[in-house]
Parts: sequence; C-alpha cells; structure tokens
Amino acid sequence: MNIWKGVRVCLALLFFIPIALFFVDFTGTLPDQLHVLLHAQVMPALLGGFWAIILLHLALTLLVGRLYCSTVCPAGVLQDIINRIYCIGKTKKKGARRFAYHKPMNALRYVLLALTALSALAGVMNLYLLLDPYSHFGRIATNLLRPLVMLTNNGAAHLLMEMDNYTLYQVTVSTVTRAGFVSGLIALLLFVGLSVWRGRLFCNTLCPVGSLLSLFSRYALFRPAIDAESCVHCGLCEQACKAEAIDSKGIKIDTSRCVDCFNCILACHTGSIQFRFAPLKKKAEQVNEEAKPDASRRTFLATSGILAGTLPAIAQGRRTRKRLRQGQDPTHWPPVTPPGSLSLERFKDLCTGCHVCVTQCPSQVLRPAGLQYGFDYLLKPYMSYENSYCNYECTVCADVCPAHALKPLTKEEKTTTQIGVAHFFIERCIVYTEGNDCGACSEHCPTQAVRMVPYQGTLTIPEVNPDLCVGCGGCESICPVRPVRAILIKPNEVHKRVEKPKEEEVKDIEVTDFGF
Amino acid sequence: MKRRDFLRTSALAGAALTLDFKGLSAALMNNTMAVEAVPDMVAVMGGEPAAMLDKALEALGSIGQYVKKGQKVVIKPNIGWDRTPELAGNTNPELVAALVRKCLEAGAEKVTVFDHTCDNWQKCYETSGIEKAAKAAGAIVMPANDEKYYQSVSIPNGKNLKSAKIHEALVEADVWINVPILKNHGGAKLTCAMKNYMGIVWDRRFFHQHDLQQCIADICTWEKKPVLNVVDAYRILFQNGPQGRNASDVATLKSLIVSPNIVAIDTAALALFNQVKKLDLAAASHIGKGEALHLGTTDLKTLNIKRIKL
Repeated sequence: MNIWKGVRVCLALLFFIPIALFFVDFTGTLPDQLHVLLHAQVMPALLGGFWAIILLHLALTLLVGRLYCSTVCPAGVLQDIINRIYCIGKTKKKGARRFAYHKPMNALRYVLLALTALSALAGVMNLYLLLDPYSHFGRIATNLLRPLVMLTNNGAAHLLMEMDNYTLYQVTVSTVTRAGFVSGLIALLLFVGLSVWRGRLFCNTLCPVGSLLSLFSRYALFRPAIDAESCVHCGLCEQACKAEAIDSKGIKIDTSRCVDCFNCILACHTGSIQFRFAPLKKKAEQVNEEAKPDASRRTFLATSGILAGTLPAIAQGRRTRKRLRQGQDPTHWPPVTPPGSLSLERFKDLCTGCHVCVTQCPSQVLRPAGLQYGFDYLLKPYMSYENSYCNYECTVCADVCPAHALKPLTKEEKTTTQIGVAHFFIERCIVYTEGNDCGACSEHCPTQAVRMVPYQGTLTIPEVNPDLCVGCGGCESICPVRPVRAILIKPNEVHKRVEKPKEEEVKDIEVTDFGF
Repeated sequence: MKRRDFLRTSALAGAALTLDFKGLSAALMNNTMAVEAVPDMVAVMGGEPAAMLDKALEALGSIGQYVKKGQKVVIKPNIGWDRTPELAGNTNPELVAALVRKCLEAGAEKVTVFDHTCDNWQKCYETSGIEKAAKAAGAIVMPANDEKYYQSVSIPNGKNLKSAKIHEALVEADVWINVPILKNHGGAKLTCAMKNYMGIVWDRRFFHQHDLQQCIADICTWEKKPVLNVVDAYRILFQNGPQGRNASDVATLKSLIVSPNIVAIDTAALALFNQVKKLDLAAASHIGKGEALHLGTTDLKTLNIKRIKL
C-alpha cells in the first residue's frame, strides 16, 4: 500500500469511528468532549463563524488538495465505505475500476454553492440543511444507525437479563420521528445511489463544502500528478478514480474534483502517478476552462430556474407561520427551541439539522421536526414534551452543537433561561373535572413555578408563577389529561432570563419527640 | 415512731431490698423473655441510619424472622429524583445498603434494588448514591426504565385499579421490603410507605386519571405485601415535595420507623411529619382509604409500639 493512501485511510478512520460512535452511543459512555471532532466540520464552522477553523481547512486544501473530503468529512468516508462494500465479490472491472472520466459539472456545483451562500446570508431558505454532507451523515447515524444499534442492544440485554446481568439495559427508541427517519433514508439512498453509480458525484456536484474546497484545491501545491514521459496510457488510473477526475488520454488530473484518495497511485503499474509538489501551471488551468461545454450552461439555467421557482413557495411558508404564531390556539404555537438557541429566528438560521443534540440529550426530549412548524423548521430539533422533559441543570445539547446554533450555557445560565412558559387550563385539570387529587405537574416542577394551592376541602390545584418557570416541560410531559393536556408550555420565540427561585434560609429544626 | 418499730422496719426494708432486688430483676427478666410480644412497630430516633436499623431489627427479633435462607429479596427504596442524599428526595443510601447487608446475612439468595424513577433513571440511580451503596453491599441494582421490565398482575381487591404492570423483580421475588423516605407531596400530600408503591408500577398515568389517592390504596392490596416497611426519616422533605428545591425544604430528624403494618406506619410517619409541619390525616386520604380496604389501622393506640432513643 502506498504511504499516502495509508495516511488517508488512517486519518479517515481516526475521524469517522469516533464520530460514528458518538452518534450511536445511547449510553452516554463516550465523553461529551468528542464533539470537538464535529467542530472540524466546515459547514457548522462557517455558520458558527469559526473563522480559524475555516482558514485552516482552506490553507490545508491549498497545500495538499481536498484531503478533507476523504478524512474529516464523515459523509465522504461513508461513501468510501459504501463503495468498498459494493466492490466485495466483484471483478476489478465491475468494482474498484468501474469509473471513467467525466467533465466537471461546474455550473451546477458553483450555482448551488452560490445559492447556498446567498440563502444562508439572506436567511431565506436553509439550502445548507439539504446539502451539507456532515448533516446528511448525522441524520443517517441518528435516525437509522442508532435505532438499529439500540434494538440490537435490547436483544442482547434480554439475553443477559436471563443471567441476572444488567450491564446492558432496555432502551426505548423515542427520538426517531417520521421526518427524521425519512431524512436519514433519503440521505443514505442518495449516498448509495450516487456513489455506486458514479463515485464521488455527490461531492463534486451537490456538496457545497466540496465545491468551496474545489476553488482552492485546483491551486493545490501538492497533488497527484502524472509523469507524461513514463505514462503508457493504460487508463487504469482513470478507471480507479472515484472522483472521475482523471483524463488518461489527456494525461490530466482535475484537482478541483480530486479528493486525495490516492487510489490512482496504487492503480498505476508504471509508477507514473505520484503525489508531489506540482503547482498549477498556466497550461493545466486551461483544462478547467475547456471543461465548460454547452451542457453546463443548460444545467445552470435549469438549476437556477428550479431554485428560483421554489423560493416564493418557501417565502409563502414563512408568511403562513408568522400568521399562525399570533394565534392563541396551542396547536398553532411555534416550536419550543432548545436552551442555548436564544431565539427561534436565530436558531432557524444556524441549525444544519445534524441531530447530534438529539442523540446526546439524556432525557431524549429533542426530536427532529417534520413540516408541522413550517418548511423553514424542517428537520431542526424541537422540545417534545410528549413523554419527556428537559433536565433542569443539563447543558449537553448546547455543549455539543458544532455550529453553536445552540450556544453553550453554564449551569447557572441554563437554570435561569426561560425557553417557554407553562400555561394552565383549569377546565381540563383533573382536580377541577374529577374533584380528585393529582399534582403530577407540580411534582415534576424543578423550580416550583407550578405549585399546588388550596382549592376545595383538602384538594389543592396547580398555580403557575411565570417568573419562576423555565419551560422545561416537566409539567406538560406528566399531565395525565388526554387528548389535550391541562398544562402546556407556550414557547418564548426569544428566550428570556428568569430569577432563580429564592433560597429560603435553612432553619434549624429540632425534633425530640416522635409525635405518636 | 418507736425505736423497735423503726429497727424492725429498717431490717425488713433492708431484707426486702436485698431479697426483692434479685427476685424482682429475675422476675422482670423472665417476664421480658416470656411475656413481651414482638412489637407491632418500632420507632428509633437519634442515630445514624445503619445503627437505627440495627436497633429496630433487634427490637423486632431479627431480620431472620422476615427473610429466610435462599429467598429472593427485593428492596424497594424511593429513587425518584435526580437529587443528592442531603436534599432528601430519595431514600437514604446508607439505610438501603445496611438493609441489603442484613438480608444477605440472613441468607438471601439475592437482593434486588430498583425504582421506577421520575427523572432520568441513570441520573437518579447515580445522584441518589443508592446504586453505588447497594451494589457495594452486594445487591443487584436493576433498571426499571422500560415497559419490558414489567408484568401484568391482577389487583382483585382494588376499587378503581383492577390490574397493574408490576416490575418483574418484584413479581418473581419471595419477599420484599418497602423502604420509603418520608416526604411532603404536592399531589398525595404525603409520600411514605403506601405512596412508595407507585415506583413498582409502569403506568402511573392511570393512577392520576382515576383518583390518585384511591389508586394508591388499591395498589397496596396486591397480594404480595412487603414483609416490612422501613420508613427513612433521617432527613425528611417537609415542603415542596416530592422533589424539593433546596436545603431549606429539608429537616433532619434522624429517625426510623419499622413495621409490617403499612397503614399504621404511614399514620405514625404522618404524626412525626406533624412535628415539623402541620398536615391532616384526612388530606393524605390514601391512608384512610387503605384502612377501609383492611390494609391496617390508623389507630395507633391499639398497637404495641416500641420507641427507642439513641
């Protein structure tokens, strides 16, 4: 094995395995600190404004090309894994060497890149949410891989239980929503389909990160380069190039699409391809210029047309949401956004829907949204108080968010952040309708913002103090009333600060008699 | 008084003293051994949890009266909340550990500890200190976070609750010991031995939907009753229960009550609670409802209660 390929594979595994494990770890065994690997992802770093990370990636790309796409990016590595699985049991001709040179689809990829950037800046549409490779990987890992691992665990836990061993325990798959599942499935099918058909087609057409890096990698100082003197034009390198970037007849490698997999070096029998210092010369650049046939213009026009056509529909969706929000009907309330999101609008602009927060939430209260909150909230996590609530002092979701769409909070900040306020509907409350004790809501309230006050006889009934409520959803999640609960959290579209419950003085209570 | 009389009286008194002292103490000794029955309830005050448990079990005879060799034992504490022992949200971990050791000393085949928690179960098990303490004492600490751990049982004597899904460790156990902590409760008003049953069932929503107080009494009629109730009142949560907010909700009573009679022990616990904060027996109506279902008596005067102060 070539040393460069060895380095590439090692780096890929060093990123991919911990990231994948982080997503599927339902036990919380892995340290939260693993999220630093996610901060290396370009799209979240761009949205979060981590310019040092971006500059580092761009500098590296300028130096060695798009090594990022074969190592740091979990979607890239996943496609390599898919490709490898596809090649099992196949002849080289039908497997690892099934590729052929294609011209780059520059119009498509750069229009998509420009539109992604523009839409992100304008906050019109989350195109990056639909195109970001890392988030696609996150959705596959969260909504397909993770439940699979959990169900396997449950089987094993059942077997161990027979032996009185509770090292493994039953877990409930509750965070996979229909939208989340479909998004994961689409992402997986997209990756399987495109990579089996034409290698890294996704990375070289749809992926905005790939397109961004390609602008720099075409000028990479170190690159796989063909030695024209020793080349025998056998075409093996071209067939081995999953980026379909090697033109063996023209003895050219399009480094704007090369993802530094180094398979070509291995395929070459004469050793004509080497990864070496080979800065771009004028002549080589012409290849890229030539590679702009009419077809590209057509693609460009078609793509722009389709995108331009969808924009008004999306804007329409936003207007509808604005109208809904003013209503008092709880079914029309906007989503409760996670602590650290600061406001609904901010969160909508920054979240890429990678679902890492969904996987890390110990209370499993975060769920990927479908279309219930509008197109611009699609696949973003919301607080689902159906059967869970936000742990009072927990800050995990904000700690792990790579885009800082959820801004990290201290314990102090978390316990004083009000993401919504409990609204009590007495006409549905058990105490009112049945005349029975209940108090489940107050029982679960960490600040006693919901407390039981005297009602009739010995009965007590809930009362909400909005100044103490943090909107954790403890009350809503446990309220036994159905179909609509008697206490619901109304979201704060802009999160507020509340005072911590006042600490009463600790009194010295001395009791010397049993009292019976 | 005449001198003769004086001398005679003194002599008699002296003789009586010397004689009767031995006789009396012997008689007392005999009486103690032969006559004094095992008390219906033991209350201990003023010691550490393990020491108080020792005293209480001593007064009741020994743990061997309740746990036999080779039996599968379940100890059911309250581990409902992600709270440290100081905040009195959960049963005292030292008490749980001491009880585990007692059961194993009595020859129990295995001792299992679990609770269907309210907060995230792993956080509760950890923060309460119970998982660590119970495991160190030799218990199996079992999860109770999933419906798969529960089995359907019939509650023929329940008024509103006719069946329930109960944790399988308990369904399979030979005996169990109910180890609640004494707390104020926003819904049930008081949570102690009877209310602690809610941690053995899966579907608690049914309870809240169908008269919480009645359902608490109903579940206590399940045929497999605890051999002992051990009420932890080392620290009690006298307000803002069952979760509590901070240390100002906690009173340290350093007390323990042990009895097989669940209604009586809750009545006694309520009386102890009233030493700190007023609460009517009528308000915690599951206790009265339990008496109506013949689960025990609220009339403590009819019981033989042994009170020990350390």
